[in-house]
Amino acid sequence: MLSMKNINKVFKTDLVETHALRDFNLEVKEGEFVAVTGPSGSGKTTFLNIAGLLEGFTSGEFSLDGVNVSNLSDNHSAKVRNEKIGFIFQGFNLIPDLNLAENVEVPLRYRGMDANERKRRVESALEQVGLGARMQHLPTQLSGGQQQRVAIARALAGEPRFLLADEPTGNLDSLMARQVMELLEKINQQGTTIIMVTHDPELARRAQRNIQIVDGQVCDFSMYQPAATGTR
Amino acid sequence: MLHIKPILSSLMRSKSSPILLLLQIILSVAIVANASFIIYERLSLMQRESGYAEAQILTFSVYNFDPAIDNIKQNEVDQLILRALPNVIDASSSNMLPLSGGGWMDRYVDGPNEDTAKSTPGFAFYLGNDHLLNVMGAKLVAGRNFNPDEINTNIDDSGMLALVSQPLAKAFWGDESPLGKTMYQGTQTVTIIGVVDKLQGAWVDHENFEYSVIQNVDFGGSSSNKMYMVRALPEHIPALEEAIRSALHAENPNRVLDNFQTVAELRNLSYSNHRLMATVLSMMVVLLLLITALGLTGMVMFNIQRRTKQIGTRRALGARKRDIIQYFMVENYLICIVGGLIGGVLALVLGQQLMSLYSLPMVPVIYPIMSVIGLLVVTTLAVIVPATKAANISPAMATRSV
Amino acid sequence: MFFYYCDLAWRSIRKTPMLSMLMVLAISIGIGITITTLNVYKTMSYNPAGDRSQVINSVQLWSQGLDTWDDFISNITYIDAMNLRNNQQLSLKAATFRTGLALQSDNPKIEPVLQSVRVTDRDFFRIFSVPFLYGSYWDASVDLRPAYQVVISQKLNLRFFEGKNSVGKTVFLDRKPYQIVGVIDHWNPQPKYYDPLNGAFNDAEEIFIPFSLTAQEEFDVWGNTSGWKFEPMITYSDRLASEKVWIQFWTELNSEDEKQNYQSWLTRYVEQQRAIGRFTDTAKSAAEAVQISDIDKWLEDNNVVPQDNKILVGLSLLFLSVCLVNILGLLLTKFLKRAPEVGVRRAIGASRGQIFSQYMVEVGMIGFIGGLVGLLWAWGSLTALHRYFSMDQSVTGLDASMWVVTPLIAISTAVLAGIYPAWVVCRTKPSVYLKAQ
Repeated sequence: MLSMKNINKVFKTDLVETHALRDFNLEVKEGEFVAVTGPSGSGKTTFLNIAGLLEGFTSGEFSLDGVNVSNLSDNHSAKVRNEKIGFIFQGFNLIPDLNLAENVEVPLRYRGMDANERKRRVESALEQVGLGARMQHLPTQLSGGQQQRVAIARALAGEPRFLLADEPTGNLDSLMARQVMELLEKINQQGTTIIMVTHDPELARRAQRNIQIVDGQVCDFSMYQPAATGTR
Repeated sequence: MLHIKPILSSLMRSKSSPILLLLQIILSVAIVANASFIIYERLSLMQRESGYAEAQILTFSVYNFDPAIDNIKQNEVDQLILRALPNVIDASSSNMLPLSGGGWMDRYVDGPNEDTAKSTPGFAFYLGNDHLLNVMGAKLVAGRNFNPDEINTNIDDSGMLALVSQPLAKAFWGDESPLGKTMYQGTQTVTIIGVVDKLQGAWVDHENFEYSVIQNVDFGGSSSNKMYMVRALPEHIPALEEAIRSALHAENPNRVLDNFQTVAELRNLSYSNHRLMATVLSMMVVLLLLITALGLTGMVMFNIQRRTKQIGTRRALGARKRDIIQYFMVENYLICIVGGLIGGVLALVLGQQLMSLYSLPMVPVIYPIMSVIGLLVVTTLAVIVPATKAANISPAMATRSV
Repeated sequence: MFFYYCDLAWRSIRKTPMLSMLMVLAISIGIGITITTLNVYKTMSYNPAGDRSQVINSVQLWSQGLDTWDDFISNITYIDAMNLRNNQQLSLKAATFRTGLALQSDNPKIEPVLQSVRVTDRDFFRIFSVPFLYGSYWDASVDLRPAYQVVISQKLNLRFFEGKNSVGKTVFLDRKPYQIVGVIDHWNPQPKYYDPLNGAFNDAEEIFIPFSLTAQEEFDVWGNTSGWKFEPMITYSDRLASEKVWIQFWTELNSEDEKQNYQSWLTRYVEQQRAIGRFTDTAKSAAEAVQISDIDKWLEDNNVVPQDNKILVGLSLLFLSVCLVNILGLLLTKFLKRAPEVGVRRAIGASRGQIFSQYMVEVGMIGFIGGLVGLLWAWGSLTALHRYFSMDQSVTGLDASMWVVTPLIAISTAVLAGIYPAWVVCRTKPSVYLKAQ
């Protein structure tokens, strides 16, 4: 599904060169739920940006869904993002001027989908996250957990092959965090590959697989059993 | 301490927005300087004294179409009728009307031999009788007016006398008195007997506008198509048109009376293009300053929003309110002064272009300077409101994660 | 997608009403001023001759003496006009000047009025394609042997003859009877290109009478009479025999060949006149003493478009550019503020082109609204020009072309102002704004 081989990412400024990722290797299989942890500044965000085709990299090979995406043009990577990847952010990043339905609709708009199909998908995505009744509300009228569920619905509406989540529960209290986590697990069980960056070890433990990034490298592979539900 | 250096380096880093402001200031200075110069020029043209009792002179044209008419007699009778009308101070015939944009232009030479004689500049050539000077309200400063028995009925009669305007006398004779000089028109001689303080011609844009001559010919008698000027107090003028019409038509109905206008109205009409130009340009200047000011306010407001946290931090670190206001003011003045300098140069270049293309006079340097000062005032007003708002940002903003 | 962008643009405009109003105000004032000056310029510089502009030509002759006038004068002398009229080589030719006569009819209810009258030859009507409602121009013989015939306007025909066919009827000019031979249909070219010397935007005359009557009727000249030397002008025959210039001369030249032929005929004419002591300025060769002007040149030489107007057009374009820079700054500010949203859209899969289009649509919309408001300003200021500065209606009426020109200028101004901000914002790195809002 996702394969990174010897990825290097170097930031150059006038004064210094920073290696954000060095010889980074990672394989993620179809249907996996991977949690990525690591101290701040370790390269987590860089990894996520590269995995989500938001940024290029200096050297190495990256293929997604069996397709080499190492040197895509800006337009082409926008298309891949739109069709194959769903994003969930710590800050939700909903567009404040648009109501829920319109927010969820955004990726479908860029795909050039017709109005009926859009309507169907938006409704089903919002149903799935339990907000089907509030389609006309504006993001500011919702709680943080609800906003994040809208963001998940937006990610789901495009029916992506995999989801990239960046601290999805970082801005939420523990009750809401658990609801969001359960939602992600449900989505994973339906077959969507998920890569989640988090600094919360408890959340990470609930993923099928845990990797840690330290100094721009995958430091430690440790397989965890899926956490049994109810363990506290 | 104004702390120019950090402001400057911060300006250098955020490239586009200050550059846009700079560009706007440059263009504004160039436009405002040239426009205000043209406005000033036009206004000073319009303010020139004409030398006439403008509001007291009612002018009109008479066209006699009776083939049996004796123009000379009719003219004499008509003028007597006009002078006898109630409230009329005086009346006279004329060949042309002051400031009307139409009339006669001529020149004299100072000797009988055309090849060697020196020619006067072109002048407005009024023909009138002994009453004309009084009707015009013009002031004689030397010599005398025509006597009633010196008035000719034809332009080729002998015994021509002339009154000249002071500027014409100055231009041709310098400090010498023109009184008693003999001038020539072809074979005809003209003796100058008087100098009039001020007597403008018909064409407000002509370079010889101030050069005029009145010659002792009662023109009303020499043609079927002529003009009259009647002097009365301004409050009597509105009723005068009807009185003139009925009196002259009663005397002889076979004529058309037309174009009743005071010299003040003629003046108004003659300067209407200049007034228009001055008005349009003034509006342009005002609107330009308005737009520049509003745009600036908008931009500063946005910058403050973007820098709320930074400003809060500065406040938390001990900046006083006036330091914050000063920061924005200095930033603005830096841009204004640089823009003003470049704009001033551009204004002069533009002025030079206008000069070569349209024979306008060159813009004096004071205009760009005044424009920059004006812009400084306007931009100060535009910046001070949002800057004061910025100064009121709470230092607590620094700790809030926005 | 376009409607989606329009929807987004409209929301964005409404979300920052003050800023949007400021931009619309700036662009509309810029447009208003530009359109006003352009409109006046356009109508003033209009060439009513259209595709006959090169065919219709006027003649100027360097008849002045040495060191007198520096330029060709638009008018010619009566002597030259008569000689040029007698040249049989030309198909169409007409001498003309303006006079004024008292007009009366058999209708006693209508008071005599002083009317502006055009004195000319029959070819005038053909050269300037004057349309006739009834009858036609006078016979060719009238140009040689004067007859009291007249062509009147449709307006006059309405006033005196209730609009009926008045051909054969009589009107009185200075109490002399003239027989009507033709009634002109509506005709009022603006600028008045056949005689722009006394008010280029005056109305066309309502009465036309034969030029051949000039010598015996001694018509006053309502136009410029210029002389370069002193000549006594006591009687009308003095005027006719003088070197004073006061007559315009028109001809039709259908090809370059005809023009060449006429030019050489005129050159020979000048040589001939020099032989009898006229055209004394020999610093110019005979060929140089002749000028044939087509309508474009004629309008240019007679300063139909005043200098002030050209200056105003230039300044208003500069003004518009200030507005453009102003809007550019505001747009840049506004768009950069929305960079986080753009980051989200980019992450979700919007291409640069899609973001660029979205913002260009917004800019275009502001331009369009600004253009509409600007057109309103222009209409208002043109009305004010007409009302308070007594500018002619023909110049202050909104030219039809402005309905196309205004939106064009408005949108291109907005687009010019918008390209850079939209470009900057569409290059937003999607990753930058996602982390912390």
